[in-house]
Amino acid sequence: MTHVVSENCIRCKYTDCVDVCPVDCFREGPNFLTIDPDECIDCAVCIPECPANAIFAEEDLPKDQQHMIKLNAELAQLPSWKSITKRKAPLPDADEWKDKSGKLKELIR
Amino acid sequence: MATPPIETDALVIGAGPVGLFQAFQLGLQGIACHMVDALPHVGGQCAELYADKPIYDIPGIPLCTGRELVERLQQQVAPFKPALHLGQTVQSLQAMDDGRWAVATATGTAWHARTVFIAAGVGAFVSRSLPIEGLAPFMNRQVWFASAPLPDLSGQHVLVAGDGDSALQTCLQAMDHAASVTLMHRREHFQAQPELIEAFRAAQAAGRVRFVAGQPTALSVDGDRLTGLLYLDAEGADVGLPCDQLVMALGLSPKLGPVAEWGLQIERKQLVVSTDTFATSAAGIFAVGDINTYPGKKKLILCGFHEATLAAFGAATHLWPQDKTLLQYTTTSSTLHKRLGLI
Repeated sequence: MTHVVSENCIRCKYTDCVDVCPVDCFREGPNFLTIDPDECIDCAVCIPECPANAIFAEEDLPKDQQHMIKLNAELAQLPSWKSITKRKAPLPDADEWKDKSGKLKELIR
Repeated sequence: MATPPIETDALVIGAGPVGLFQAFQLGLQGIACHMVDALPHVGGQCAELYADKPIYDIPGIPLCTGRELVERLQQQVAPFKPALHLGQTVQSLQAMDDGRWAVATATGTAWHARTVFIAAGVGAFVSRSLPIEGLAPFMNRQVWFASAPLPDLSGQHVLVAGDGDSALQTCLQAMDHAASVTLMHRREHFQAQPELIEAFRAAQAAGRVRFVAGQPTALSVDGDRLTGLLYLDAEGADVGLPCDQLVMALGLSPKLGPVAEWGLQIERKQLVVSTDTFATSAAGIFAVGDINTYPGKKKLILCGFHEATLAAFGAATHLWPQDKTLLQYTTTSSTLHKRLGLI
């Protein structure tokens, strides 16, 4: 099992989650954060930190987000997606994108 | 300032719910223990992350909060009077020639322990710092963690970063003697106790503290002096804010830290244990609670209680291999009643 970042993170990237991760398992892309499933220890500390409610335990992931399990694992392996361990400013229009759905087409690799 | 190591039969690393229950189970086995925790109080995640959240799956307790569970566990372990060492993070753990373990904290407390129980959860809680570069040279000169003692702020322009209890408390305490007090957070919404928010609002209305919404981006520095902070305001513009002292009240986050470097068998950053005694790969070291892993592991407090119970039996066998470790019931055993201080 692992924890998974859902589409809710796309174009927001608040990064509050990375500050609390005890094992530094977040990887950063241009407009999305992903969890490396090989590093995540399922502590769940990140879940309440996310202002966009984007993080779920794999077992709790909504039905329409199941594809994100595979995508998280895949993105975590991209060499350009580096480990992020300290919070930084969210994307400038994060608050506007926060509650939007169907953001998958906005994802930049 | 090296003090002589404390000799003990058992050392419990981590004073969360499972660590506290570990001390209780050791007490029933007649094993006195010391406990060490990075936080200044017991309770671990229950106190730090879930203090007011309800827990529904503790056997026999239909509903309690994290704080209430910790209070009950403290009452339960009280007869055994474990020696508490709080606010200290264990740094090193090394095998000694005689089979004992040498354990030391970053602040110089050391033990020679015959058994060690790692109940460290997801790691030691440490203060979160601002996500900007160049803080280190100013730490404890002009930049402070709210969790540690603050300097005299008289006549100083103080900037506090954060949105929780400790951020608001720091502002309210500093405003009596500081030249000015400014609180900065991403948005003007606080995650604090209602009475603190009310007091802060009142102080704000009276012009004694002010709030600035912003994301700190860099320090302003003049020679070896910190002169202020640059931040991104709500409109996305870069703005400067002068200050003499910067206090970071951003809460705590757990870091697994040195546990991974103690040479114990690890799988996905968790300690591998056997399920008969919850012993790790090293003789005399046990791991219980969220930090261990075994087939079927579930990170539940009640599973940690079971693990701690069997680990205490394992410790008794390790300490006194020639004696038979008996299963005794607290309902009827006079030995256990004696240990519990009932007779």
